[in-house]
This record gives sequence, C-alpha cells and structure tokens, in this order.
Amino acid sequence: MMATSATGAAPARLGFRSTMVGARLREAGWGYGFALVPIAVFGLFFIYPFIYAVYISFFHWGILGKQAGGHGTFNYSKVLHDPIFHTALKTIAEYTVVVVPLELALGLSLALLINQQIRGRNFFRSAFYFPSIASSVAITTIALYIFAANGLFNQIIGGNKAWFADADTVLWSIVGLNAWTTSGTVMLFYLAALQTIPNDVYEAAAVDGTGAWRTFWRITFPLLKPAHFFCLVVFGIGALKLFDQAFIASNGTGGPNYATTTPIFYIYNEAFHNYDFGVAAAAGVIYFVIIFFLTVVQRLTVGRQEAA
Amino acid sequence: MTKRLAMVLGLVALAVALVAASAQAGHKTHKVTEVTVAGWSSGGDEDNLLQQVINVFNKTHPSVHATLQIINTNYGDAMTARFAAHNPPDVFYVDSYVAGAWEKQKVLQPLNGYIKKSHYNTKKFYPKLLGAFMHGKTIYGFPKDWSPLATETNNGLFAKAGIRKAPKTWAQLKSDAKTLQQHGVAHPICLSPDWARMLAFIYQNGGSIKNVQSKASAQAVNFYVGLLKSGLAATSSQLGDGWCGQALGDGHSAIIFEGNWLLPYMKSTYPNVKYGVSPMVKGKVRGNLAFTVSYSMSTFTKNKQAAWTLLSWLEGKKGERLWMSKGLALSPRSDVKTIGGRAPFLASAPYSHGWGFGNPNFNAAYTVMSNDITAVIKGDKTVQQMLADVAAALKGQ
Repeated sequence: MMATSATGAAPARLGFRSTMVGARLREAGWGYGFALVPIAVFGLFFIYPFIYAVYISFFHWGILGKQAGGHGTFNYSKVLHDPIFHTALKTIAEYTVVVVPLELALGLSLALLINQQIRGRNFFRSAFYFPSIASSVAITTIALYIFAANGLFNQIIGGNKAWFADADTVLWSIVGLNAWTTSGTVMLFYLAALQTIPNDVYEAAAVDGTGAWRTFWRITFPLLKPAHFFCLVVFGIGALKLFDQAFIASNGTGGPNYATTTPIFYIYNEAFHNYDFGVAAAAGVIYFVIIFFLTVVQRLTVGRQEAA
Repeated sequence: MTKRLAMVLGLVALAVALVAASAQAGHKTHKVTEVTVAGWSSGGDEDNLLQQVINVFNKTHPSVHATLQIINTNYGDAMTARFAAHNPPDVFYVDSYVAGAWEKQKVLQPLNGYIKKSHYNTKKFYPKLLGAFMHGKTIYGFPKDWSPLATETNNGLFAKAGIRKAPKTWAQLKSDAKTLQQHGVAHPICLSPDWARMLAFIYQNGGSIKNVQSKASAQAVNFYVGLLKSGLAATSSQLGDGWCGQALGDGHSAIIFEGNWLLPYMKSTYPNVKYGVSPMVKGKVRGNLAFTVSYSMSTFTKNKQAAWTLLSWLEGKKGERLWMSKGLALSPRSDVKTIGGRAPFLASAPYSHGWGFGNPNFNAAYTVMSNDITAVIKGDKTVQQMLADVAAALKGQ
C-alpha cells in the first residue's frame, strides 16, 4: 500500500511539477510576448535610427544617401570646429539654466495653490494645465502677435519693442513662454508628490507651532526631493531639445543674429537646408553624448541625495 | 436538346469572348498615364486657378491625367522627405533659391533631352529667369511666374512733403527721405533686414553674388545699413509693423521696396490708401532681383514622357496664358502678356537676377545672410565680416 502510494505520489509530484513549469513557461511567454511589442517599436523607431545615424555620421550623406568623398570623422571635426555650433551650445545652456528653475518654481507654486482646499480647485487645475496640452505652434504664433511691436503687450506697457524679433530679447521671450506652457505639467507632478506626504508630519509641525513658511522649507520642500529630481531630469532634457518655438519665432532662420539657433535647430538646418545629413547626424551624436553625460552627472549628484 | 444547349452555350461563350476582346482593345487604345503635379498653397484664388489650368490640360490631353497635390506643410521639408523616400510627385514647384541645391542633390531631371526631342522653344523665356534653373547649359525647370522688386510710395505722405515723383536714384532716395523727415515722417523708408532686398542694391552698385566681397558690394551694404543707422530708414519691426507693406499702408513709412505680392495685399487691407508703383531705384547701374518658381520634373518619375507633356504644356504659351488670366502673377515668357498695371515690374525683366543665382549652397548661405545682416545692423559684426561669412557659405564652407 505504501509502496503503491509511494510510486503513485512520484508521478503525481512530477505531474504537478511539470504543470507548474508549463504554467511558468506560459506566463513567461505571455510576459515576453507583451514586452516584445513595445521593445520592437522602441527598437524600430529609436535604436535602429540611432545606430543608423551613427553610421551615416561617418560619411558624406545627401538626400539620396551616401555621396562621394570617402568616410571618416570629418563630420565630427566640422561640427566641433563650427562657431555656430558653439553659439548653439551657449544659447541652449543659458536657456536651460534659466527656464528649468523657472518652470519648477512656477509649477510648484501652482501645485501648492491647487493643493489647498479652495473653491473652484478643479477649474484652476484644468486652467493651469491647459497651456501644456495646447499646440506649441499655435501658442507661439499667438505669442508672436501679442508681443509684436504693435501687439497687445506693448499697448499695455506703452512700448514698441518687437520682443520676438530682437536678438537681445527673443530667447528670454521664449523662456517666459515655455515656463508658462510647461508649468501646468510640472504642477501635476508636484501635486501628485504633495499628496503622498503624510498629514502626520504637518500635524506634528503644527503642534510644535511651526509657521507656514518654515513648514514649507523644512518639511514640504525636502520631502518633495524625488519630484525635484524627476522634474529636473525630465524638464531639463526637454529644455535641451528646444526647437519649435525657436523655429517659429525666427521664421526658420535661427536668428536674429543666431539668438535662437539651438543645437536641435543646428541639426535641422544641416539636414534640411544644407542637405548634409552626415554633419547633422554627427551633431546629433555629439549632442546625445552631452545630454547623456549631463544626465549621469545629475543622477550622481541630485539622484544620489534623493536615494539617501 | 443537348446539341441545341451546346450551341447556345457556345454562342454565349463566343459573345463574351468578343466583348472581352473588344474591351481589351479599347483599353489599349485609351491607355491613360497618371501623373501628379505638386506645389504649395498660395491662397484660395491661386489654388483654384491652378486646378482650372490642370482641368484644361486633362481635357485636351486624353492620354495623360494630371492630379494636383497641394502641400500645405513646410514645402521644402516635405519634398526633401519625399525625395529621400524616392517617391516625389512627377512635376512640382521649385523655388529658385533652392534650385541649385536640388540640382546638386540629383533630384531634378535634366530637361535638355526632352527639349531637343520635342523641338521645344526656350527662347521665349526671359534669359535671367531661366538662368535661375540652369547649371551650365543644363536646364532643370522653366519659370512659371516671377516677381521683381519695385519702389512703392505713399501718395499722401509724398503730397504732404511736396514731392511729386518717386525717387529714381540713390541720391534722390536720400534727398526725398530727408524732405519727408522734415515734414514729420520719422523714418520715411522701410527697409527689411534681409538680403532679399539688400542684394538688389548690391547689383545696383555693380556688385554681385559672385563677387560678394568686392568693394562695390561693401559700398552697397554700407549705403543700405547707413540708411537704417541714420534713421532715414527703419525696419518694419522698429516701425511697429509686421512687414513693410503694412508700414506703407499705415503711413508709418513713405517708401518701400516690395514685389508684385504687395498689390493684392494693399487692395484687400488698405483699399483707401493711394500709393504709387515705380521701377526700382537705380545706383551706378540698374539692378533687381527676380523671385521665381519653376515647374520641374523628378528624376524618379516612372512616366517621364507624360510628365514632360504636362510640364511643357503648363510652361507653354497656352498653359501660361491661362495661368496669367487672372493677373495673379507676372509672365516669365515674352510672348505671353501679363494683365495690366504691372509695367514697373515687367520693365525690370532684363536686369533682374534670379534669386538663388543657381548656387547649390544658396539655401544654406541664406541662413548665414539672415543672421549676419541683423548682427551688422546691431553693430555686433562689421560689414567685412558679414561679407566674408556669406562668401564662405556660398562656397559651402
């Protein structure tokens, strides 16, 4: 009987094990199957073009493909020695350093406002978020009219400066415009983070008699560190990719006086005006390396503090 | 019964076969080749007129059927993507400023073979306009229409200052501007910070795009920028206007230099403003720019003969006559008249240089020109530096 049961249990255990293995395999199959689709899309639209861009960056490459003139690192040399590329890097550095803190400050302020129990909270949340979902082309075009020499803004302040046509003011006008349009998205991230802060800490602070200002700087702001890091990386990279507003404001010239020539505009200009796709690809690779390096530095500094 | 049924079936089969054969034969004799023609939108009137012209072509050419595609996005970028995909339209617009670059990229079909084969007469086109679409002796397209610049003046402001005629020379331009200034017009001339205006002055001083670093070119740039720096002229944005046409209409300036496109704008926006159109001012010599667009053929078209049939008809006397029928543009052919009121523009045909000048690097160089001219006006760059930058860009450096 025992023997019978022993011999009977082994196949039953084997059967159970094989069923488990089969179920796990099936589960893994489904998992890989589901993952395969986005990986394939990512590979097709991101990894493959990136590898292809690296490849063509070593050739003279026109509209119809490879052109005569050999291969090598000449495109990289051209980009690295081009004063316009240097100007583009300087412009985007100035822009990013100003616009990102501004976006974060504005977004956080709006989030703090929306986080209060105020009447019409939902309306304000939608209203503040609206510029983020509106077309940047449409918003920039409207801004060009408002800030034109004879536009609404000048009529209010009594000036006649064409804010988007002057080399001294165009970049800062774009900074103002983008800080406003992006603040809605920043607000949402901060709002989500604010709602994860437990009430206990605020109650403890209230018991201790801590004022609102001190509570914000000593409790809220430090507890938002993960959101700060996330927003800094996401909107920092977004700022480094400035193109459409610069393109529209300058009527496709990157001017006046290269004031709106950003690295992405430089890449576009090399590809679609100079028809030198090799140089454009080389500039793209160089810029990728710069952004990658900055992100790693950011991760090692702000990110490490956040993890701690 | 079986025999009768077999006979009936046989007759039916024969009838079907005969109908099929005749249909096949008919199909062979009326084979229609499809071609596409593409351009950008220049407004409802022009789009409708172009469709009417294409309809007439389709009616008169039963063996070729042309379909119009209007590209509403950034035309140059859209066409570049189509070239890269080896799938552009068969016949399409080419702006003269980009013609040289597209020729170099080998996306435009040389037309000399078709011209020779069909004995097509190219002599009726104004040579300088045709030259904008030529590289050496190879023709890559024919101009479909064009516009030079002219001197436009605000009659009211001129009358107020007691000036009777539009300026004809640089000296008169300056003296008229001074008189207008004395009569309350702060900046009598509206000048665009744009080589698409300044180059006309360079040609008027004996300079050219080929010797852009010459003394004559530098003198002309100094004259142009000098007008702005002295306050006799201002840019449209300094005047608080979107462009110089608006400045003329608003009475913010009395003298501007614009093309044929000003006329419909003034008619619709400032119908009550009286203004005059005179030939472009003259320096040491006469000089002007011709902004022109061609119909060209793609190197990828599978139906080259049909595309040539369409292109040569559109550019021929009949096609051009239809295209000119509503007076929306100037004729590029000496044997097709332009509808009235355009004499000051047409007069400059012999000395107008096609914008782009056949230079393969012009498209890229124009970005440098646009940025450098603003730097020179602002005082951030010298004229010599700008001319050196432009010369290098024109060489593709």
